[in-house]
Amino acid sequence: MKSEHVWRYTLLGTVISVLAAFVVWQTIRIQLNPEQVQRFITDGEKYAGTWHTYYPARGLVYDRWGNLLAGNTTVFEVGAELAQVRNPHTIALTLNVVLGLDYSKVFDLVSQEPSEDAVYVRLYDYVTQDKIDRLQAIGDEIVATYGGSRDKDAPDLSGLVFTPHLQRTYPEKSLASNILGFVGRDDEGITHGYFGVEAKYDELLAGQPQTAWVPSDPNRAAEIPEISPGVSLVLTIDREIQTAMEEIVDETMDSSGSESVTIVVMDPNTGDVLAMATTPRLDLNQYWRYGEVFEGETPFNRAVSQAYEPGSVYKVLTMAAGLDSQAVKPESTFVDTGIFEIGGTYIYNWNSGAWGPQDMQGCMQHSLNVCLAWVASQTGAKQFYEYMNAFGIGRQSGIELAGEASGRLKEPGDADWYDADLGTNAFGQGVSATPLQMAAAISAIANDGKMMAPRIVRSIVNNGHQYNPEPRVVGMPISAATAQTLTELLARSLESEASVSLVEGYRVAGKTGTAEIPTPYGYTSNVTNASFVGWGPLPEARFLVYIWLEKPQTSIWGSEVAAPVFPEVVEKLVVLMDIPPDDVRNALLSQ
Amino acid sequence: MDGVRKLTQAYSQAPWRKQIQLLGLFLLIVVLVALIAGIYLNVTARAATMGREILAMETRIEELNLENADLETRLAIVTSAMEMEKRAKDMGFEPLDRYEVTYLVVPGYIPRQQAVIAPPPEPVVVVPASLPSDYTESLFDWLQERVVPMLTRAMEAEQ
Repeated sequence: MKSEHVWRYTLLGTVISVLAAFVVWQTIRIQLNPEQVQRFITDGEKYAGTWHTYYPARGLVYDRWGNLLAGNTTVFEVGAELAQVRNPHTIALTLNVVLGLDYSKVFDLVSQEPSEDAVYVRLYDYVTQDKIDRLQAIGDEIVATYGGSRDKDAPDLSGLVFTPHLQRTYPEKSLASNILGFVGRDDEGITHGYFGVEAKYDELLAGQPQTAWVPSDPNRAAEIPEISPGVSLVLTIDREIQTAMEEIVDETMDSSGSESVTIVVMDPNTGDVLAMATTPRLDLNQYWRYGEVFEGETPFNRAVSQAYEPGSVYKVLTMAAGLDSQAVKPESTFVDTGIFEIGGTYIYNWNSGAWGPQDMQGCMQHSLNVCLAWVASQTGAKQFYEYMNAFGIGRQSGIELAGEASGRLKEPGDADWYDADLGTNAFGQGVSATPLQMAAAISAIANDGKMMAPRIVRSIVNNGHQYNPEPRVVGMPISAATAQTLTELLARSLESEASVSLVEGYRVAGKTGTAEIPTPYGYTSNVTNASFVGWGPLPEARFLVYIWLEKPQTSIWGSEVAAPVFPEVVEKLVVLMDIPPDDVRNALLSQ
Repeated sequence: MDGVRKLTQAYSQAPWRKQIQLLGLFLLIVVLVALIAGIYLNVTARAATMGREILAMETRIEELNLENADLETRLAIVTSAMEMEKRAKDMGFEPLDRYEVTYLVVPGYIPRQQAVIAPPPEPVVVVPASLPSDYTESLFDWLQERVVPMLTRAMEAEQ
């Protein structure tokens, strides 16, 4: 090596060595300075990813055949990325025209200086696809006309962003609205289920939102969490039956001038509620009209949330207790003198008349209060209330709907129970139950004494699997023999009086009910609750129908306003449930 | 002594040869490091590309989920009870009266089945914990199972 080159190499080596030493020194300096370390970590984290909250898609709700009753549809949140905004005026004007937002409010929001605390501003939410299409078309038109313009004031929608998310939608609008409930937003904009299955299963349907760190590093893509959608439900409701029942409810409401009409249709063999129609109903896609539709203290679903004194339909339970305890037999004779004293109170018949000697069929056929008070007294208070408890009176049925009322059954030992209550309870006065509780209790008589838990949810779909819980037996309040005897007794009583509730070709059993309404000043006689309960086709009932008309105007009697609704309901049911007439069914079975 | 020196001189490396060897070794290390760095870079780049693809797919899945939800709801709207009834009436159909129904026995007829939205949960099968035989058999077992039959067959073939 020539000596004149040595100094050059030496210089180069020195510079490289100094640079290397500087790098090493800087590394050590940063490592030893906690402030520097923290600043680097913070800066690194800022660009390493973002925190994101994932909201699972709300679970769907189907009827028993898989028809969608509650689904989801895409809507958009409209917001602005402040750093990207070039012309706040264009954004404010466009949103004012398309979405009807206040110009000055939007202008002020999007004119903010972007900072660490102000990166994005939410302008509006739940915007439908057609409105977004309109906004995008305007944006495209602006780009086509002014794109590339250097004019600072040229129209520009830059910075306006649309974020899609799901919103609850009800394809059947008001159908089964009292069962479904709805999803609405609270004051903080957080969605919740209100009423019905939406409220009862709110947490399960909504799923579990997850807040997770979403790394920008593509090598950590696998860390993005997988969000399972909320649980879906298959209801026991049959859409076609529900539609038919709602039509009948509306027609009956018009024809009877009732304050409300409720119909519950159950399968007594499983406890499945096939339809639960009541008034008023709400188009669930316009849930904000709730206050307008449900005025005052109107319950959302009268079938489960409004307990009332059922009146004479309750005699079915009284007679069941009397027969099962063998306090009376079908052929037992009671001489009706038109008055019965119990606990110092006198019980009279609905027409204040005396009906003379009557067997139990006669007592039920003529709906004699006096006779049934006697049956209850023969059964004895202790046994009578044991039976009523076994029938589930006075407590919630446990149906999977929010806001179920429990009703009231006063019992011996309660401060407000008197001996006279046994007599009045016997014909459904002084005791309250919801239409569903009554239907569930009487379904035990239609199902050979076996009482099934009423249910509205047939299946639960979770994590891609469908769980079908078996129908649940609540108990056996009466024996199969008693149930069959009572059913036969009630079928004959309808046939003997050629009741308007009879259905040509199908043998049915049933009972009417007319109940005076309690007020703070005593019972009213001019306004009543009219009810009817019926089941069939006999002997193996496939449906049980409970009808309740609140304060009918055309007649106060259940036999005149509620009983005629029953054959209307059955005529629809036999077609929709493929139930042939008795003669055809027997002929087919004998083949 | 002189002989030893001559021998050492004869077999010792020339200085330029030593330099070449050192240079070669250095270059070999550089090439190896470059090779490893290249492989690492290649793998990292591929992993990053895959990661990007996963991110894009995640976004696409989200879009498709929204689209599915929309389509399912739209289908439910056009097949809703009210819409179907209106369509049927427009086509000249009337609501069925129970007196117009004729019941027949149809052999093999399967009535309408209730909704199956998803398969039922799979039954939990308890599998007894077991290790492959490779981990449990002894050398003697292995010889007996594999080698002995082979030898037996060979001997039989010879006979």
